[in-house]
Amino acid sequence: MNNEKQELYDAMIAYKVPGIQAAVDKARKAGMSPEEIIENLGLGMTEVGVLFERGKLFLPHVLSAAAGMKSAMDVLGPEMLKNGTASAVKASVVMGTVEGDVHDIGKSICSTMLQCAGFDVHDLGRDVPKGDFIKEIKGGCKMCGMSALMTTTMTVQKDVIEMLKAEGIRDQVKVMVGGAPVTQAYCDKIGADVYGESASETTRKAKELKI
Amino acid sequence: MTEYYTRMGDGKRVLMSKDAIFADLVAGSADAADMGGIPDLTSAEIEKLFEIISDKNRVVGVEPGNEVVLTYDIGQLDFTGDNGNSGNGVDVGRLESALLHERALGADTFELAHADYSIKPVKPVISNEMQTMEEIQNEIVAPYFYGAMPNMGLYYKPDGPYGNPADLMREYKIEEAMDQAEKAAVHLARDIEYVSTRLVAAGADGFNFDTTASAGDADCVGTLNGVKALRKACPDTYINVGMSGESVMGIHGMIEFEGQVVAGLYPHQQVKLAEKAGANVFGAVVNTNTSKSLAWNLARSVAFTKVCVEKSSIPVHANMGMGVGGIPMCETAPIDAVTRCNKAMVEIAKVDGI
Repeated sequence: MNNEKQELYDAMIAYKVPGIQAAVDKARKAGMSPEEIIENLGLGMTEVGVLFERGKLFLPHVLSAAAGMKSAMDVLGPEMLKNGTASAVKASVVMGTVEGDVHDIGKSICSTMLQCAGFDVHDLGRDVPKGDFIKEIKGGCKMCGMSALMTTTMTVQKDVIEMLKAEGIRDQVKVMVGGAPVTQAYCDKIGADVYGESASETTRKAKELKI
Repeated sequence: MTEYYTRMGDGKRVLMSKDAIFADLVAGSADAADMGGIPDLTSAEIEKLFEIISDKNRVVGVEPGNEVVLTYDIGQLDFTGDNGNSGNGVDVGRLESALLHERALGADTFELAHADYSIKPVKPVISNEMQTMEEIQNEIVAPYFYGAMPNMGLYYKPDGPYGNPADLMREYKIEEAMDQAEKAAVHLARDIEYVSTRLVAAGADGFNFDTTASAGDADCVGTLNGVKALRKACPDTYINVGMSGESVMGIHGMIEFEGQVVAGLYPHQQVKLAEKAGANVFGAVVNTNTSKSLAWNLARSVAFTKVCVEKSSIPVHANMGMGVGGIPMCETAPIDAVTRCNKAMVEIAKVDGI
């Protein structure tokens, strides 16, 4: 069984969908439970995240590994439902670059990393009106990620937090902020819950929130 | 215990002991060595960095005779822009701004820039830009370039014709995302050739490509191919390739320039590609981490930049501003940190210009 565990881990790091599918098939034939398979794929996915952070793997590679994970879940999910062992889906996250700001790339990488980590990501894109964040949160999103790349737009993050307070729903959502001019001190000052220096750090902190 | 006045990467004032500063200097250098596969700074260099950081004076400088060339990017926008794009909100014309930089601010080179500071929006106003270039060249003595960001993000939807790789990848359309990035890179190179050759024909002494690779590795390849085309068309023009970050983001992941995958390259590797493309000067960038101290950031930046200078056959002008080169990431970068970072870049990393 140890061989199969290692092969699942290695297949994730090699990030090729057919390779991941083959490793999953082999593990199932060897009698490994869906939970064990997912656990070992998850260890591989964590390492993929580390290699991404270190600049050894890139976004398409991370996505390819995530696509492999998704195809494994397509097979393992129904089995887990049948066995009654399906775990709850991770929280829904609304993501967007704030109103007045058209910088997209950092926020998109962050959305992708969160999606790869199993979150249900609602990416609203860039130049997102403040009210759209509120609408998504009222619609059930438990986390809200706002990116701002300019000193003139970072204040919108604070505006949205104030709107959440005015609506009486601030306690229902964890607010994450990031972007070039944003810092931990600013995050603390405006009353956000999480500051992410990078996409990887944001994802790690989001997972730690355990919503 | 003596404590020294210094900064965090977000500009916050802090007091640190000698031991704490040394520990951060060593850790910052080690992080660069680990990430870039480059040597750590020597203990003599760490000592020198400590001397610079712990200097009692608010403003420090290089010794007479060690001054380096100062080039400026962003054209007149540092006067006319608002705080969101590094400006001061002072409304002056492009001619007046060029002359002020030359005659009042001591700029060794300067450049003409479009308000949007990107290649693509220059195309429809190219005739105006050519005319302005010619007019200012009649007044200015210092080498006067044209500057713009390749900014390949403008070629993706919703701003341009190509599918946005970030959106496509989230739908697991990875090959399509790569294909769109490759097509956008070809388009960018074509536009660079169109814009840059016309401005050189109008009298520009050179072209400054600012924030190369801001949209990732395909942006880097598109820019380098554009540089190559400009060099071929204008063998004597002066080309400055400045980067946008310390590592080329792998949005495509596999795209190559001259047989070299560009994703993940660090300054000492980026500069070799800029040379191959035909650049005269390379603008190295190292990012500042806002959660770490000035000591950590500066040691890391110097370690990266020093190796870049050593490996380069062309002059290296370090990007030194808000959030790069060890300088804190805050709207008005503190002068104590700015001057310390510049001194260290000149005296330890041995950059040719700033």
